[in-house]
Amino acid sequence: MLFSRRLMLGLAMAGTMAGALAFPALAGEGPTEIDLFFPVPVDGKLARDMGTLIKEFNEGHPDIKATAVYTGSYDDTLIKTRAAIKAGKPPAAVIMSANFLLDMQIENELTNLDSLIAADGTTKEKFLGQFFPALQGNAVINRSVYGVPFHNSTPLLYINADKAKEAGLDPNKPPQTWAELTDWAKKLTKREGDKVTQWGIAIPCAYDYCGWMMETLTMSNGGRYYNEEFGGEVYYDTPSMLGALTWWNDLIHKHKVHAPGATPGPAVSTSFISGNAAMMMLSTGSLTYVRDNAKFAYKVAFIPRNVRNAVPIGGASLIIPAGLEADKQKAAWTLIKWMTSPEKSAWWSRATGYFAPNMAAYKTPDMVEFLTKNPDAKTAVEQLDVAKPWFATYKTVPVRKNLEDEVMLVLNGKKQPKEALAAAQKAADETLKPYNAETSLKLP
Amino acid sequence: MSLAEPATLPVATTSVAPRLDLLTRLTARVKASLPAYLLLLPSLVFLALFTYGAMGRVLIDALYQRATPKAPLRFVGLDNIAAVLADPAFTGAVVNNLIYAVGTAVPSIALALLFALALARTHAVNSALRAALFLPVLIPMVAASALFLFIFLPNVGLLDYYIGRLLPVLPNWLGDPDIALYAIMVITIWKNAGYYMLFFLAGLQAVPEDVMEAAHLDGAGPYMRLRHIILPELKPTFLFVTVIAILNAVTQVDHVFVMTQGGPSNSTNLVLFYIYQQAVEHYDIGKASAATLLTLAALMGLTALSFRTMANREGAP
Repeated sequence: MLFSRRLMLGLAMAGTMAGALAFPALAGEGPTEIDLFFPVPVDGKLARDMGTLIKEFNEGHPDIKATAVYTGSYDDTLIKTRAAIKAGKPPAAVIMSANFLLDMQIENELTNLDSLIAADGTTKEKFLGQFFPALQGNAVINRSVYGVPFHNSTPLLYINADKAKEAGLDPNKPPQTWAELTDWAKKLTKREGDKVTQWGIAIPCAYDYCGWMMETLTMSNGGRYYNEEFGGEVYYDTPSMLGALTWWNDLIHKHKVHAPGATPGPAVSTSFISGNAAMMMLSTGSLTYVRDNAKFAYKVAFIPRNVRNAVPIGGASLIIPAGLEADKQKAAWTLIKWMTSPEKSAWWSRATGYFAPNMAAYKTPDMVEFLTKNPDAKTAVEQLDVAKPWFATYKTVPVRKNLEDEVMLVLNGKKQPKEALAAAQKAADETLKPYNAETSLKLP
Repeated sequence: MSLAEPATLPVATTSVAPRLDLLTRLTARVKASLPAYLLLLPSLVFLALFTYGAMGRVLIDALYQRATPKAPLRFVGLDNIAAVLADPAFTGAVVNNLIYAVGTAVPSIALALLFALALARTHAVNSALRAALFLPVLIPMVAASALFLFIFLPNVGLLDYYIGRLLPVLPNWLGDPDIALYAIMVITIWKNAGYYMLFFLAGLQAVPEDVMEAAHLDGAGPYMRLRHIILPELKPTFLFVTVIAILNAVTQVDHVFVMTQGGPSNSTNLVLFYIYQQAVEHYDIGKASAATLLTLAALMGLTALSFRTMANREGAP
């Protein structure tokens, strides 16, 4: 007989597998099951901390069963969330990079949280009032709430205090202006003939970080980088950004106190830790890493200004994707409110190094004690007074890359700042064109 | 209608006797090969689900596009393909990929041949050396990239630590658009040479012993033997390894993901990474599908060409 037992077995197996693919486990009665997508953007044991947090939530809420799903970096989390939405199985909540919200809202991928806030018997103003004002810009779109700030950061100036003292500088009076910073960097650069053995300052430039640093320098130079009210405009070819890029370029090619080329964030922190760079500009998110690894005394300070003190925020917000069933939406909202409460917010901040967006978190006894022990963690929070939203436009990532590609050419000495910014502006306008065609240029 | 059918059927069968014969022969043949098809069915189901289905989907997606972000998808024919071909980022990626393909295939094949010739005889030392050269193949590309990320670290990395004593200005290996692509290529060569060596070792086993002996007796030196016997005998191996190397150059972009993300300034952007960028960063499925189709067409053309060359060779008297 040709139809052997093996064949039948094979067919049966294929059948079972196809069946398993076609009919996933049917949802049974019991608690509402929800998924939370979370990224791990910085080094450390974040994944384990998240497990602890969710376990505690499930114990306190027997009617909800939340599962934390690790989804890689911020960019990966956006990809996976979009794939899940496309497949018709969106997660109930996602920790999403704060500047992706606008793009997702434009693509109709977010749940408007206004009705959930209203159902709690509170107002939008009251709800948002819990968080630092600087964080609200990236959570509110067209006067509706789309995200709840979860963990946030700002850029900081890190100084190797030992090297500063060696060079006759007082680390307790860090540079406050670009002029002072340039002066410090010159004094902190060591040369042997033509060869530099110690760089004065390092500023990261890789995709993602580069755009954030350009926003930092532009804002300190009085600029805006993008239109906070409308996702179809960026201000690349402007005096404020030209000044910012020219100064960065001068640090490399004129003063020769910054290593040439584009250096990614991890290379910058390694360089600082190893003593190869005496100062660096980096996120507050790296503070825990520096605290644990630096074998020298270090200081953190505000980003120096040329025109004004201003920095962008970074970090992530909790969102609810569009297209969820009502019960899952409600469960997700309960989870989000719990995770952003003062106690949990403070706990997460201490575990990760990010600052807690909920202002009340800093009044909890544990947090007060922590800040007395680690005063450097306070600098980031104080800088929040001058912080502004993170750039967010239609197609945020490509528009950001339009600038970064040109900045990298400048840092490598292949283009002059002026022509680079003109090219970046042209490319970004092209990327933003479809959105403008639908909004600002759609005329009656 | 249903009543008429049974009446017409016998008429048709009796009037066309030869066709009936054909029909029975056909059914017989189908019957005979039915078990074979049934045996293939499970894999066919999965191939259809995960390979042909996906390819069909790409074909369809490549024909649709949105005019503005909120507009509905509409049929645009070949517009997506035209848009991809007009995109300087795509042409840049193709040029990069050509440099990358030639720059990795040639040195890694040359090295592989060299290693294979040197280590052709099997004894303990050679076995150990073979294992050492094969080791990079066992390291996953992502892990290797993470390692090289440290080696290439500007100023403090392993490479600069040693080269730093010799050069006045240290190159920023991955941060300089003129160097980054070549730095990436070094990893590919390091990783693939040992793998291709295996094929050449196998090819060398097939070089007929008697011909070699005859050449030896006729007084042919080592170079003559290499030039006139070994290399011609290795021709099919060369062809096969070249195809594999070029396919690798298009499909292996793990290190680009990990190390440079296509940067700085798109200098390490390869075609597959461009497709990823279109699909994920630009969220433009139409353009990504169109670029995928173009790449698939190029790869299929290449494979067909190489198979024909191989078939010709074997078919020739």
